[in-house]
Formats: sequence, structure tokens, C-alpha cells
Amino acid sequence: MNATVIIIFLIIVAMTLVITYFAAKRTNTTSDFYTAGGGLTGWQNGMAIAGDYLSAASFLGIAGSIALFGFDGFLFSIGYLVAYLVVLFVVAEPLRNLGKFTLADMINARFNAKKVRGAAALSSITIVIFYMIAQLVGAGALIQLLFGIEYLWAVLLVGIMMTIYVLFGGMTATSWVQIIKAVLLMVGTVILSFLVLQRFDFSILEMFAQVKTATPHGEAFLNPGVRYKIPLDTISLMLALVLGTAGLPHILMRFFTVRDAKTARSSVMWATWIVGIFYVMTIFLGFGAAAFVGSETIISTNAAGNMAAPLLAQALGGDILMSFISAVAFATILAVVAGLVLSGASAFAHDIYGQIIKKGKATERQQMLAARYASVGVAALSILLAVFAQSLNVAFLVSLAFCIAASANLPVIVYTIFWKKFNTTGAMAAIFTGLISALVLVSISPSVMNPEAGAAIITGTPIFPLTNPAIVSIPLGFIGGVVGTLLSKESDVRKYSEVKVRANTGGFRQL
Amino acid sequence: MAKTVAGGKARAVQAKGKNRGEGSGTVKGEAGKENLPDFDAIEASAGFRDLMKKKKAFLIPVIALFLGLYLLFNFVISYTDWLDQAFVGDITWVWVFAFGLFAMTWILVTVYMKRAEKFDDMATKTLKEFNYDKEENR
Repeated sequence: MNATVIIIFLIIVAMTLVITYFAAKRTNTTSDFYTAGGGLTGWQNGMAIAGDYLSAASFLGIAGSIALFGFDGFLFSIGYLVAYLVVLFVVAEPLRNLGKFTLADMINARFNAKKVRGAAALSSITIVIFYMIAQLVGAGALIQLLFGIEYLWAVLLVGIMMTIYVLFGGMTATSWVQIIKAVLLMVGTVILSFLVLQRFDFSILEMFAQVKTATPHGEAFLNPGVRYKIPLDTISLMLALVLGTAGLPHILMRFFTVRDAKTARSSVMWATWIVGIFYVMTIFLGFGAAAFVGSETIISTNAAGNMAAPLLAQALGGDILMSFISAVAFATILAVVAGLVLSGASAFAHDIYGQIIKKGKATERQQMLAARYASVGVAALSILLAVFAQSLNVAFLVSLAFCIAASANLPVIVYTIFWKKFNTTGAMAAIFTGLISALVLVSISPSVMNPEAGAAIITGTPIFPLTNPAIVSIPLGFIGGVVGTLLSKESDVRKYSEVKVRANTGGFRQL
Repeated sequence: MAKTVAGGKARAVQAKGKNRGEGSGTVKGEAGKENLPDFDAIEASAGFRDLMKKKKAFLIPVIALFLGLYLLFNFVISYTDWLDQAFVGDITWVWVFAFGLFAMTWILVTVYMKRAEKFDDMATKTLKEFNYDKEENR
């Protein structure tokens, strides 16, 4: 670790702490804590969404995958981006119009049933924990690689930073950490892309021509099939990505930080431009790394290819650029985990404690305390799990989180907004069939069971053939909702007119 | 279901929930406790039904289009090598289709932003008919 890295690293840490200090002064109520008072503008929230969404796995992982596998490395980015159309057309506006702090609030606008709130909170917590373990384990390994800090200390460092942001600065600090991270990430990738394109004389054709001969894959590098060879598996995963984003609690939570549906909409617009342009630039990073670093060097530094972008920075801009890119990756990790802590805490403190245990009658002071305790609890639990999961292969947990979000959360969101006959039993059935089928199927899939010892969590022959169960569990979640609704005699038709009017007009908000 | 109330006063049917919008145009009960309007009446009003019709006419085809193209892309690249042919130079069709999906996302978002302004106006108008002002009620 050289002096430049330490300096840039400390600047980022100091900057985020200053933000937290000022944010803490403005965090007095639960609304401040969970939603930054609902006062973010469209571009601010759009950048924060991008900052919340683009994890280190997106930045270092995708750049590396493209460098090693060509088109297949880029494939997921398409799903990650198109997913925002589902967010925009189906979820963002009704969520803003009906909800307060959490997804469960929105569903409860229709069903005033504690069990539905509890179920929605449970699936949110499950998603957050899985996503978090994957992020922290990845973060620990990455920081170890980037800065030479030991895994345990790396996880503790990230864990303590995220706890400080959320505990003291709530959503205001989290949002601004995410916004700054989005800016740094874009600046870093623009610089790297520029340097790469310069080497290709700013000719995309020249770039394709060169990478065609630069890798061991040859021509196949530019076409699908180098990495993903089982068609149904690829389709299942891509389905999870496109439908899952609209059910991710930490993304959904961001829509409560703006004042109305119109601003929610414009934040999605900002997010799609930032996220989309970022993913296009990862192609330049990946191809650049393939051509100017070479797959041998990339793999020898880290088998998964995570060091492709920093190595590229080293090759094109020397130590200073590499230090900057490493620091950007660190900021990226912090912004994502802080958002996750906050959404996990809101499910525990607002849904389970405030609304279910205290029946919505907790005082503001009690709610704030609960929110802070829950934040520390979620952070501590995640750190603990990440420490134990160090040697496990947990990268699949990210796609599992998307899969649960698509299977357990999306059906209930869609039915709540669009289906008149939908009822409490249907909501319970949708959440639980989606959640349980995703969990059961993945636990008997190749992601968890592998005949080769050490390759996955359990050694054995997988019973379910696909690595991601989305293609089965998403339809099950939707069917579960229908079956549950039809089997029950309850009817919430009367309440539906209220939900429909409020969701579509933005009027009569209950706050 | 009352269908003749368009333009009329929102009637307090259910007395529940607390609304932050104090001092608003919605009908209020005694002692400052706010009552919710007759949502059935709003739902049945011509303005709201027109809004829903226009929204559906836009959203359903658009959702079918983007999900359809996205799934088509995934099926084609997974099961065939149709897109492996060169487009220009060494750039194959798969990159063109992939970029097309990116462009589609940006275009649909932009189109929707425009269209949604109209939806907003229709919603505001309908709410005004029922004496509800969004701005005041924030």
C-alpha cells in the first residue's frame, strides 16, 4: 500500500464523516431517519439510486468478467438496466403514493393486517441479509486485495463505517454517501474509458478488431456462450435480474425520499441514464483490460477477474490512477452496504417493532431508538455472518436476492396495485410461496450443492439443475397469490377503490 | 355505486386514518378529524376512468414490448447463434441488439416522462373536482 492510496482513502473516509456530521444535525425524526425528510430532488435521488445499485460487483466484477469472458461478462448488465423499466412502469409511483417508509407500508395501505406486514418484512429482511453477506464477503476480499488489509479487519472497517453513517446520519448521510460515490464512480470510469479509447484511436471498430485476437477465446470472445452454456439457466438468471430490481427493499426505500410520484419518476430517469452509461463504459474497461493487461495477468492476481479494472488503471495511468480507482471501489462498497443496513433496520424497527408489536402507537422517541438499535443490530449480525462466511462461495447470494425479490415481493406489489379481487390470504400465499420456493430450490441447486468438495457450501449432487431458481419460483409466487385469493372468501374490494385512486392520483396520502 | 357525483363534494363516508393535510380542501369532520372521501365515487367518475383508460392504453403495450424484446433476446442468444454474424467489422449483431435494449430503455423512459405529465394533469383535475388539492395537502 503506497502513500497515494492512503491519502485518497483517508480523504474519502473524512468526506463521508463530515457528511454524516452535518446529516446527524438534521436527523431528528423517524421521517428524517428513514427518508431524509422526503426532500430529495429527482437528480439527487436518481444518483443515490445509482449509488445504491452499482455495487463493487458491478464495477470490478463486470469489468473483470468482460475482460475474461467477453460478451457473456456484459450480459447481466442488460438485465440490470432494463429492470428499471419495471421499476418505472409498475412500482415507483404507486409505492411513493401509498407508502411511508417500507414496502410493507404500501401493501398495508390495502390490507390492514399485521400478518401481511410481518410477511412482507420477513421477505425484505431475508433479501437484505443475503445481499449484505454477499456484499461484505466480497468487500472483505476486495479490500484485502486492494489495500493489503486482512479480511477480518477489512470487514470490520466497512462494517463500522456503514454503522456510523446510518446510526448518526440516517437516510440523509446514506443518500449523500451514495451520491458522492456515484460521482466518483462515473469520474473514475470516464477517465479509464477515455484512456482506453485513446489507445484504440477512438475507434470502436479498432477496439473490437484488437480484442478479437487479444484473448485465448479468439472470435468467440465477442459472442455469447463463452461463460454461460446452459440456456435455461441463463434465461432463469436474466429473468431474476429484470424482475428482481423492482422488489429490492433498498432500492424501493429510495422512492420514499422524494416528495411525490413526479419526482420518483424523474429519479428513475436519472438513474437509468447513469446506470446505463456506466454499463456501456464497463465494456471499454473490460476490453481495455483484455487488450492491455491480458487475461493471464488478470487471473493470476485474482481468479474471478476482480482486479481487471485496477490493473488497467495501473497500466494506463500508473500508481496514482490505480490508487484512485481502488478508493472509488472502496466508496462503492460503503454506499451499497449503508443502504442495505437502513432498509433492514426499517423492516425491523418500523414494521415489526413499531407497527406490529407497538401497533403503531410507539412514541416518536421510542421509534427513533428502535430505528437506531435495529441499525446496529442489522450491522452487527451482517458483520458476524460475513466473518463466518469468509471461506464460503457466496457470490450467488446476489442473484438469489434478486430472485427472492422477484418471486416474493413483485407478485404481491403487482396484485396489490392492479388486482381488485386480491385479498389478505392471497397476499400471504404470494409472499410465502415465492420466498419458500426460491429458498428451497436454491438450497438443492448447484449454487449450494456441488459434487466437488469445497466448490459450494454442501458437497453432493444437486437435485435441482438450475443455479438460479427464478424461472420456477417467480411463476410460483404469482400463482400462489391467485390460488390463495380464490381459496379464501375474504374480499377487500371496497378498500381497492381507495388504493386505486390513491396510487394513480397521488391524492389523499396518509402520513 | 354512485355515478353522479362528478364535480360534487367529496362525501365523508369512512372516518378513519389521520391525514397530514390539515387546512386542506377535503371535507373535514368535527374537531379537526379528517374524514376520507368517497373513493368509490372518485373511481367511478368520468375523469378518473378516462385516466385509467389512457394509462392502460399506454402501459400495457409498452410493458409487453420491452419484456417481449428482452425475453426474445435472451432466448435467441441462449438457443441460437443467429446474432453471432458480423454487423460491421468485428462487431457482431449481438452487440447491436444489446445496445438496442439499452437505447430502448432510455427511449421508453423519455417517452413516459412526457406522457406522464398528461396523466398528472388528468389526475390533478379529477382530484380538484372532488375538492382535493395535492399541493395544499403535501
